[in-house]
Amino acid sequence: MNFSFDDQQVQFRDAVRSFLVVQAAPEVLREHWETTDSGRSPEMRQKITEQGLTALSVPEAYGGLQQGDLDWVLLLQEVGYHGIPDSLSDAAYVGVGIVAALEDEAFKSEWLGRMCEGKARLAISHPLNPLVHDAQIADLILLWHNDEVHAATPDQVGLELNPSIDASRRLYKLDWTPSDATRVCDAASGKAIWAQAVNRAAVAVGAQMVGLAQRMLDLGVDYSAQRKQFGKPIGSFQAIKHQMADIAVKIEFARPVLHRAAYALQHGDATLEAKVSHARLACAEAALLAARNAMQAHGAMGYTWEADLQMFMKRAWALESFWGDRLFHKQRVAQALFAADAQIGPGTTF
Amino acid sequence: MKALVPIKRVVDYNVRIRVKGDGTGVDLNGVKMSVNPFDEIANEAALKLKEAGVISEVVVVTIGTAKAEDQLRSELARGADRGIHVVTDEEIQPLQAARILAELVKRENADVVIAGKQAIDDDNNQTPQMLATLLDWPQATFASDIKIDGGKATVQREIDAGAETLEVDLPAVISADLRLNEPRFIKLPDIMKAKRKPLDKVELSEFDIDVPKLEVVSTSNPPAREPGRMVKSVEELVAALKDKGLV
Repeated sequence: MNFSFDDQQVQFRDAVRSFLVVQAAPEVLREHWETTDSGRSPEMRQKITEQGLTALSVPEAYGGLQQGDLDWVLLLQEVGYHGIPDSLSDAAYVGVGIVAALEDEAFKSEWLGRMCEGKARLAISHPLNPLVHDAQIADLILLWHNDEVHAATPDQVGLELNPSIDASRRLYKLDWTPSDATRVCDAASGKAIWAQAVNRAAVAVGAQMVGLAQRMLDLGVDYSAQRKQFGKPIGSFQAIKHQMADIAVKIEFARPVLHRAAYALQHGDATLEAKVSHARLACAEAALLAARNAMQAHGAMGYTWEADLQMFMKRAWALESFWGDRLFHKQRVAQALFAADAQIGPGTTF
Repeated sequence: MKALVPIKRVVDYNVRIRVKGDGTGVDLNGVKMSVNPFDEIANEAALKLKEAGVISEVVVVTIGTAKAEDQLRSELARGADRGIHVVTDEEIQPLQAARILAELVKRENADVVIAGKQAIDDDNNQTPQMLATLLDWPQATFASDIKIDGGKATVQREIDAGAETLEVDLPAVISADLRLNEPRFIKLPDIMKAKRKPLDKVELSEFDIDVPKLEVVSTSNPPAREPGRMVKSVEELVAALKDKGLV
């Protein structure tokens, strides 16, 4: 069995990496936070669209690239690594997945077409997230209501801004009333759509957290190679080396689990939920350890506005409970492990 | 007008290369490989000329192992129309590469060759010049600006004293310097389209490359940089420089 990504998937990742290195440099991101109310740059969104990212999941019949979860899992690690302040994964990956699964052809045609052209932003409201990310700039908000799928335009909902520890995130509490006019899918069909959306979103968050962990590791290693104490770079001391190595080990153990979850999403799996939640937990552990240890390597200055580390550290903290907190995901893993017919052992749980 | 753009697969510029333990070369195991950055610039220049309506077809060429197809596909995704892959596992040196390219230029009836000025692996900076000589074509090296009009190319080139502008008759060989342009980002839809672009495989045996080759005797790391020494006065500095024979 070949466990590696194919050439096209690797090319996609390399292309997105080359793009983000230039377009999402920390100084560019800071400028967006500091010079705009929305924290978002229409120019950057346009460039992201031109790259093809907003059309990646859209079926070919609607003008998209029709790529799957395994493509996204690589790309979202890059998105996390570069910390772009954009709800790309919610809109172009999870949101497009929800819309594509609906039965209303006219609705799908309109919104998937607009996503391909970069003329629409999607936001998602779900009980796992009390606050909705980027609702203020969404053209369409997809809403959960008792497993039904509703869709509302911003003028149909009330928005109340809620601050986030991550200065790049814009979170809103929504005030809306479900109605027949907003319902686009009933609960019978909606249940499976929302289940898949939660799994996709959890993998997306996990992928971003692995990217963030790698970025914080790189920042920690770079800083500890430059910062000198007792006449030597602090990275030469075991106390620092071990902290950095611990992050690297966590990342190495999280990444295969994440890739397995993406594979399970794309190809289907009887224990999909457990695999996804396992990945989500492993990735969060890596990112949170990276935040703590990289902060230790930097000292107090790591938390200051001027240090790039704080951007990625705060993003990791903010994502920790996004699309399910630890309790939610541990419960899903526990349900699979402690089920009467649980398959435990090689090929199933590891 | 047809442009031929040679592409080389090299170790990615971000990789810290390691010399093999036995000194026989650089360790390429597990190392990320990329398109030579100067070749990306050359292809971008050709694509810009195509968009301006000056060039009608851009053909990218590589000489190398089967894996070099990845780099050729990358440049097809950037926008080149067609690829030619001369497949070989043999190490190809500049004169051999120039002879292969000269043959391909004749077969393709190309009007201009736009190449990177050098590859970042061996930094030879020889192939474009040798190619121009073999073809008996004019050459304009280290280009920082290219304009083509009326069968002539006007090329601004970077020299030690500043910038020099040459006018060469076409057909010609032009080599691209760093400041010629910034290559465009490769888009995901174009990566998918590139898979369907024509790519011809050519055997190395079709070319006469029987020329004397340079032999690498040994490869070693550069000597470690010695630590600096702090001096307390200008006089001490001058004396130290005199001791080293530097002033």
